[in-house]
Parts: sequence; C-alpha cells; structure tokens
Amino acid sequence: MELIDLAATPEGRNDFVGFLENICSTMDLDYASYASANPVSGKVVAFTTYPDPWRDHYMQQNLHLSDPTLHTAARSIAPVDWGRLDESDAFNKVFNQASDFGLPSIGMTIPIRGPYGETGLFSVTSGASVRDWGLLKRKIIADLQLSAVYMHDRVMKSDRLLDILRHPALSAREKEILQWVAVGKSQQDVGDILSISPRTVEVHLRSTRHKLSVLTTPQAVGRAVSMGLIYPG
Amino acid sequence: MIVVVDAINKDKFTHILDDMYKLRARVFQDRMGWDVKVTNGREMDEFDELDPAYVISLDDDMNVIGCARLLQTTGPHMLSDVFFDILDGEPPLRSALIWESTRFCVDRDRLGKGVAKNSVSYATAELMVGIMEYARESGISDIITVIDPVMDRVMKRSDNAPYDYVGKTADMGKVKALAALVDCTDERINKVRAFAGIEGEIFLPEKAVAEAHQDKDLAMMETELKTYIEEQLTAATTERERSDAIALKEAIGEMLRTRRMSDA
Repeated sequence: MELIDLAATPEGRNDFVGFLENICSTMDLDYASYASANPVSGKVVAFTTYPDPWRDHYMQQNLHLSDPTLHTAARSIAPVDWGRLDESDAFNKVFNQASDFGLPSIGMTIPIRGPYGETGLFSVTSGASVRDWGLLKRKIIADLQLSAVYMHDRVMKSDRLLDILRHPALSAREKEILQWVAVGKSQQDVGDILSISPRTVEVHLRSTRHKLSVLTTPQAVGRAVSMGLIYPG
Repeated sequence: MIVVVDAINKDKFTHILDDMYKLRARVFQDRMGWDVKVTNGREMDEFDELDPAYVISLDDDMNVIGCARLLQTTGPHMLSDVFFDILDGEPPLRSALIWESTRFCVDRDRLGKGVAKNSVSYATAELMVGIMEYARESGISDIITVIDPVMDRVMKRSDNAPYDYVGKTADMGKVKALAALVDCTDERINKVRAFAGIEGEIFLPEKAVAEAHQDKDLAMMETELKTYIEEQLTAATTERERSDAIALKEAIGEMLRTRRMSDA
C-alpha cells in the first residue's frame, strides 16, 4: 500500500484540502482528513489539514499501516467515535505520537462505502472537552456524513476510469421528480402532482444529489440537464 | 434491551451473533419459507460478509429475541444487488443519509402474546425503536426496509406505518416482498415508544452484555465439567480409575474455587 499525498500537488491543494479547511471552519473542528484506496489500482489517496510536521512524521513512520481510525473504522457502517477505538494498542501507538505534536485525540471517522465496495474514510478531530464534543457531534453529524460522501465521490470521479464506471444511474422516479423541480415546482407541488409525500420527494432528491455528486438541488438540475438526463426547465 | 454489534465489537459477541443466525434460520426458512441459504442451522448470506451492523434484542437472560441487519445504501446492499424485482429494474436510492434494513425478525417461540415486556408486540416495537435511534445518532435521516406484507401490517399496527414505498410488491418465490420508507425523526420514534410503553434508555452498555455472556459461558462450562466428572466416577471399574476420578474432581473443584475468588 502506497500513501500518496495529493495535497502536495497544486490541484489537490486547491480542491480537496480547501474543501476540508472549509469544513473545519464552518463546523468548528480542528483538523479534517480524507483517505481512500482506488478500487482499481489499489493506490491510497489522502488529503489532510494536519500541520506539515505531523503529516511528514505520519508518512515517514508509515503510521497509516496501523492507524485504527483507518483500518478499524472502515468496518463500521456508522461514524466511529474514536472513543470506541482508544483501548487498542494501535490507537495508543498513533495517538501518543500525535499528542507529542500537540494534536487532539478526540474525533470521529466516517466510513464511506461506494457502489463497487470501495471505502473512503473521512476523519475530523476536535480539541474540545469530551462533553462539548458530544454536543458538537450531534449537531454536525448529518452534514459531515453528506460532506464525507460528497468528497469521496469527487475523489473517485477524479480518476478517469472510475468516472466512467460511476456514470449516474437515476431511476425513473428520480428523473421525474428532478424534471418537475427543473421547471420550478416546489417539493410540496411535486408531491401533490405525483401523489407522494413531500418526504418521498426529498429522499429521492437527496439520492439524486448523491448520484450526481453535488450538494444542492439547483446544482443537480444543472448537471442533469448538461448530461441530457432531463430537459432544461 | 438492545445491543448493536458490528465488525468492530463482534469478537466480544460471538455467541450472540451465532444465536442470531440460528434465529434467522428458524424465522426465514422454517416459519416464513423464504428461499434462504441455511448451513448448519444458521442463515447467512453474502451481505453478512460486508460488515453490516446488527441491531439485536436481548431478553433479561441475555437470550437473542430479535434482530435486524443494517447496511449503507451508498455501498452494496440488498436492494441494489439482489432485490431487482422490487425495483422493477430501476436503480436503487443511494444516499449517505439512508440506511437499508433487512432480515428484521423476532423470536415468536420465546416471546409471549399480549403487550407485556416479553411479548412479540413489545419486542417488535423495541427493535424498531432501536434501529431508528441507532440510525438517528449516526446522522441518518431515513431507512429503507425490505419487508413482507405481514411485517408491513405489523408496522402499521405499531404506529410506525411507512410514509411511502419504493418500487412494487414483488413475488419472491412463495412470498411477497416490498421496500418501505421510514424516517428516523423524534416524532416517529416517540410514537412507537408510546405505542409499546417503552421508556428510557433501551441500549445496553456493551461491557455489561459482554460480561453477562462470559458468566453464562462459565456457568455452562462448569455444568459440563461436573457432568463429566460424575460420568467418570460412575464409569470407574477399578480402584485406580476411581481414585483418579476423585483426584480429578478435587483438582477441578479447587480450580473453580480459585477462579471465583479471583473474580470476586
């Protein structure tokens, strides 16, 4: 397994690290990282906002080979609070060293599973007290889940081969709903037109946004139109 | 009470998982007649290999009385990879905020009728609440659940009617299956809790479950050892065999006493 730090490339710094920095500042987090293995080539891609000395140390010491926030967390379906991992020797090995670099050991990893069985790992840390962390976590966990999977899809799509594999497959209902939204109908209207609940409209739009790797419904409309999946409104 | 077992903590709960697979075999093959693969009295499929999370109900004696299996819809799951018929060939919903629930069941043989704490009705509601609360704590907004028409009626009766369905009701051999949507809002959770009279925390601390099971294993081992010693004593035909059997009994008795003292 080879760890590639795309953050060192100008393009990586512009896109993904900026995205992570943005998440830290809007959600009141200290640091954020993302790592995944390319399901085809097996190469590991990682981005982080951690300070350079820790990043260098981490790579030189090959800590990614034993870091439980990567290996253990990947096997959960729910976000893994690092409190669940801190009894293991591997955790102590990594986090004793992290604390020498002045880094917090409170945090959580969100495991992302893609349609081809590939996993991405999105981690955030906080210097807050255990109590404040509990409160913060509750507040941001849904947004973090969405951000994590969004970043994962973007990283996967940055690979040309994977981009082709991940051609969005919208269901007839998803297209139908998005088409009504594109012509300016509200979620309530769409629900009334199709005789379904507004919540059904929302879960389908959420799925559509995920499949198109966008964060907002207007972006989804734009992308779907450009791909010829729906007609312009 | 509920415990969540996933790939991270499953080593502590091997017996619970084993009992769960056996319960699934009894329910899905024996009672419901689904076309599932049962090996050695245990029902397992390829989705159990994908590190799902299991929400498991336990009674006061730590017996498994119900279970359900959860997977992320962004990755491989049953609706995307197996239940094509339900979706009529359409691609499945995929979202970081939607989980899929499958293999929901409770143990009708162990549970009674009525609405008391050890009834089918209570255990079913508690398991539904367990799934929704675990999902809610993980930031999940909705669950898509693959169920049969009987379960659909049970959900409606438990004040947990799905807010919608995806695809159609499909014939799965002898049985029918459909995909229902439920949200994980406080409103829905409170309704199901009120319906069954579920109050307070339903999740057991992981440590308590693991320790209780360890005690159960030890007690079982002691009983087996005692039976073995008695058999040896009865079977002894010569004086030599008899004295060996008595020596064994004393040695094992001493061992068990020492361990009880160190446990205390």
